[in-house]
Amino acid sequence: MGIKILDEGTQIQAPKITPNEFREWVRDKKPRAMIDKTMDAKTAVKKFVKDGDIVAISGCSFVRIPVAILHEILRQGIKDLYIAGGTRSYDANLLMDNGRVSHYDAGYIIGLEVLGLPKMSRKIVEKAKAKGELTITEWDNATMAWRHKGAAMGIPFIPVRSMMGGDGFKYSGAIQVQCPFTHEKVVLVPSLFTDVALIHVHESDIYGNARISSGAVVEDWGKVRAAKRVILSTEKIIDTEELRKQPDRTFVPHFYIDAVIEAPYGSHPGNMPGMYYIDIEHLNEYMKVNQDTTGEALKQYYDKYVFSVNSFEEYLKKVGGKKKLKYLEDLEFLKVKPGGAP
Amino acid sequence: MSEEYNEMELMTIVAGRDIEDEKIIYVGTGIPMLVTSLAQKARNLKITSIFEVGGIGPEMPTLPLSVACSRTTWRALRVADSSEAFEIAQSGYADYAFLGGAQIDKYGNLNSTVLGDYHTPKVRFPGSGGANAFASFAWKTMIIMNHEKRRFVEKVDYITSPGYLDGPGAREKVGLPPETGPYRVYTTRCTFDFDEGTKRMRLYALNPGSTVEDVIENTGFEVTIPNKIKENDPPTRKELKILREDVDPFRLILGRGEG
Repeated sequence: MGIKILDEGTQIQAPKITPNEFREWVRDKKPRAMIDKTMDAKTAVKKFVKDGDIVAISGCSFVRIPVAILHEILRQGIKDLYIAGGTRSYDANLLMDNGRVSHYDAGYIIGLEVLGLPKMSRKIVEKAKAKGELTITEWDNATMAWRHKGAAMGIPFIPVRSMMGGDGFKYSGAIQVQCPFTHEKVVLVPSLFTDVALIHVHESDIYGNARISSGAVVEDWGKVRAAKRVILSTEKIIDTEELRKQPDRTFVPHFYIDAVIEAPYGSHPGNMPGMYYIDIEHLNEYMKVNQDTTGEALKQYYDKYVFSVNSFEEYLKKVGGKKKLKYLEDLEFLKVKPGGAP
Repeated sequence: MSEEYNEMELMTIVAGRDIEDEKIIYVGTGIPMLVTSLAQKARNLKITSIFEVGGIGPEMPTLPLSVACSRTTWRALRVADSSEAFEIAQSGYADYAFLGGAQIDKYGNLNSTVLGDYHTPKVRFPGSGGANAFASFAWKTMIIMNHEKRRFVEKVDYITSPGYLDGPGAREKVGLPPETGPYRVYTTRCTFDFDEGTKRMRLYALNPGSTVEDVIENTGFEVTIPNKIKENDPPTRKELKILREDVDPFRLILGRGEG
């Protein structure tokens, strides 16, 4: 007696990290002590991000994304990354535009939602895929969320009732079986454990007890719990006593976290719900440089904002400094209108 | 009482009138956010909109630019995560899902992944996002798209989100939850529904200025034409005012309907 396999995707892979390997890692490597984990982005990336890593990124599209960490990854030349690509957009484009990604598990790819499909970024992906430098496995935002969740539960797969009837299944790594209990068809999606998760939050203490204070949680709960290493960047460092007053608001306790980076405005040009809104002008600039299909304008964009600066603070000055950031704070709370940026 | 409007405004307003009150509706990125926001503001609905990354029942003070941006959790009833949002749909609470796409066929199958061959595409699009799950789980899926022959095709290049697949019973046969599927399609020219027997797209109502011939000519598959066809009323001044002033004042999406 076995469970009957009804259909298989063409991209089935042996898991790169199995639940037992993950358990061993947790036993041997994850910090238990409440120790000060604060460091700068440069140190954290050097210590915890490696070529070839499976990477999970926080937030969605251009909302609560860890831009300070991503810039550092670009500057340190880290490459050959495997992206957990549910709800990803501008953040993953930063890496793909610069040729740092060799595999992408696609929930959502390239697009900037309402702002459109960046042309040069699209061409880069199409070209890299044609040349075999980039492989894509098709998933969707639901199954990617559940794959993180399955890993966070410490189990090897999770049964779902989507992905049936479409072409995505064919180009996925999923399996369809007959449920041994209901005898209905279900799809099994493999859990996705990652090497490193890059998570941006509103508040954290120096140990990594952290809060997402506002806005959608997206897939982050699963991502934090299913990554071998977690780099947390936070808008603000707060006292542990503050957290203890309202423990129901703590998003993650310290033992999941390996590094804590204080990164004010660390999601720029993205939104940080409850703090500052999307820098629409900056994203429009990104969309505009994408119109040049020689790739030259996009390259200049990265030279200007990432490679010619040494830190995220320097970048923030370049994108408009205090005046601009104050405007984005006012925009978040509807005190000013979009389109009137200083 | 009418005035000048572009086809994006017309399509949005027609679709917004159809959103049923006191229901749970899943809202995809782009035009569906515009329609839902308009319906909430123009009709003062008590719907609960859900966004795939966690926003439940927000007020949307301005047009969200992303399904995750703070406008999708503004004065919301709850903020969840992606898993929870999709699980709510999987367990049967999604009365409606509202989606867009690049291509659609006569069975309401949607493509938002590639144009051309999958391995050597003419264009790679963002892919499913939340759409596959929405289209799998929602009792009724509403779709909104520009009406062009190249978008309304005999067979989509790739099925990202399942419609009725290849006809009656096909969804159930592949294992999708029963009694789900496409409900209406709103376009710049008309509204379609689906024939109960054949599960094929059927002309339901014509937009002002559009004719049956016009719909047939601009659709790449054979449209079912019933004996009785409704006519969608033109936008009212009030609808246009709210859409332009309160929903998308910077014409981020409405601007696409120009020229």
